[in-house]
Amino acid sequence: MTAATGLSGAGVGIEIDDIQSGALRPRPVPYEGEFNFLRVDDRHAGRALLRRLIPTIGGGLAGPDPSRDAWVAVAFTYQGLRALGVPQESLDSFSRPFREGMAARADQIGDVGESAPANWEPPFGTGEVHIAVSALSTDAARLAKALERARVAFHETPGVELIWQQEVRQLPTGRTTFGFRDGISHPNIEGLGLPGSNPREAPIKAGEFILGYPCETGGLPPMPSPDVLGRNGTYVAVRKIHTKAAAWRRYLRANTSGAEDEALLAAKMVGRWPSGAPLTLTPEHDDPELAADPHRNNDFLYRENDEQGLRCPAGAHIRRVNPRDAAIIGDARMHRLIRRGTTYGPPLPEGVLEDDGADRGLVGVFIGAHLERQFEFIKAEWVNDGNFIGYPGEQDPVAGHHNGTGSVTIPEKPVRRRLRNLPSFVATRGGEYCFLPGLRALRWIAELQD
Amino acid sequence: MAATSAQLERKGAKDGVCTEFTVFAKIKAGHAEALREVLAELTAGAADMSARAALREIGTLHDARHVMFDNDTRFMFASVFDGTWDTYIDDFGKTVVGERFDMVFRHCEGFPGIADPGIKDWFLERQAPAGVFVSSYPDLTVQQIWKDQRVNEAFQEVLDTPEFREALDNPANAALKATPAFQKLMKEAQA
Repeated sequence: MTAATGLSGAGVGIEIDDIQSGALRPRPVPYEGEFNFLRVDDRHAGRALLRRLIPTIGGGLAGPDPSRDAWVAVAFTYQGLRALGVPQESLDSFSRPFREGMAARADQIGDVGESAPANWEPPFGTGEVHIAVSALSTDAARLAKALERARVAFHETPGVELIWQQEVRQLPTGRTTFGFRDGISHPNIEGLGLPGSNPREAPIKAGEFILGYPCETGGLPPMPSPDVLGRNGTYVAVRKIHTKAAAWRRYLRANTSGAEDEALLAAKMVGRWPSGAPLTLTPEHDDPELAADPHRNNDFLYRENDEQGLRCPAGAHIRRVNPRDAAIIGDARMHRLIRRGTTYGPPLPEGVLEDDGADRGLVGVFIGAHLERQFEFIKAEWVNDGNFIGYPGEQDPVAGHHNGTGSVTIPEKPVRRRLRNLPSFVATRGGEYCFLPGLRALRWIAELQD
Repeated sequence: MAATSAQLERKGAKDGVCTEFTVFAKIKAGHAEALREVLAELTAGAADMSARAALREIGTLHDARHVMFDNDTRFMFASVFDGTWDTYIDDFGKTVVGERFDMVFRHCEGFPGIADPGIKDWFLERQAPAGVFVSSYPDLTVQQIWKDQRVNEAFQEVLDTPEFREALDNPANAALKATPAFQKLMKEAQA
């Protein structure tokens, strides 16, 4: 067996080389990437395309020089697996949210109003997205090289149609469209040999992220059948999120008394300063030096020094989506997720407060072995509500759908600050649930008969 | 297994932020006495303390009752949760709450164990929705009720201090006293 037991592993043999690189590798800095959606009109053509793609799909973790890295990943929607002729019995064995698709789960995950599937950008939610081919690299040249064969295959395979494409790349500022550095936090996964970003996080069972291994419940996660198809695969929620950078700036401006206050309020909503330095470690001012140190910029918990949220509010974005050891309803370790945000569109020039009409935002990729307990739970309970932290009805200040009626509580002495009438700073442009199979499983799909 | 769960829907009756969750199970033949003992044990002394702690831990359960009926052949679990009962079911599996569920339901037919992946389906198959479910406080979650209780207790204590009386008489606080928000608060303080 080709199992590589990781450094932090407790003897769990993880077949790391059979897992697509796109599942586990953290996003490079800087990065260039591309998402391609394909529709399969003929299953034989779809399988032929897959056979051409497989040699370009990377497995395992980064090589000796991660700065020269590039990888291509391929994932499938439920409709895609069906279009490729995966047997019905096997299709039925996938998890329910995956079978229904993200659009059908809109009410659960809060994609309503302007974010409702009716307003999504086609082909999201139409059932026509079958195969998602993504690539990520450190620069455009390596990206192009990694995608070279895939691009030829897209165009030379009749019966398979390239229906959507999205380029993503790091902005020159190295920050998101809201002006914050991202991509800092990565879970500590047991047996992987890839250290998590928080040295204080006890390893999370591999089965939370990869199918075929024990998860945090102590059992094996429900896995699609046959075994060869499910093993070493995982689920991916892909979302295109439009960000309203001008509205964000205007709200901050209108609710603060000066530049310093404005920077602090933004940090209180995010949980980090623009450089990425966490409020829990540096509550008064940004600390670019701390932010630049990968050993320190995520090395913190909440319970000991920040239980009340006087530094980082319990409702701040990063504390909601990863509450660490903070007192919350339930067990945070049951709801971990690999998240990889990538930016699309131009930055809003510095100082501009009016919307310039440009489309900008992020393509977010959320990876875990349990769509319902991880991605959907986090959206419904942690992002779209605040009951779990004692603020019922209050949403994530950055990622929530406030619609002009949102509120944010910021703990402060002597009296908490409460912001009201928050507009939405994001709108969902579309999303799909995908299955990211292991390499053996890819070959199994490609070799299906009939 | 997958096909069953696709057909089952969460079907408890909802009022405001809460949903009722009522389950009817069959008690295993010969297990009635053991179940009765478990229920008695869970309400006694230390176990009762741990039940209080468990409720704190859940933080979304308004109330719950375990009832044996039909000549000790059947068992009812009736409860009211914020949101839906199943949101935290996987989390419960790792806690003292899960242990308590296991202790009780292991005396019911077919119970797979609280940490079993099929646990949601087992409950859903035995759930019967209420024909009527009403709450006197439909907007309040358990978290909100606890907060309200803490705030009121602290407020009452403030009212009991002579310093607060003095502060009200202090002209420096006239502007505060004149605000509608403070007048609302003082109305609650009058009786």
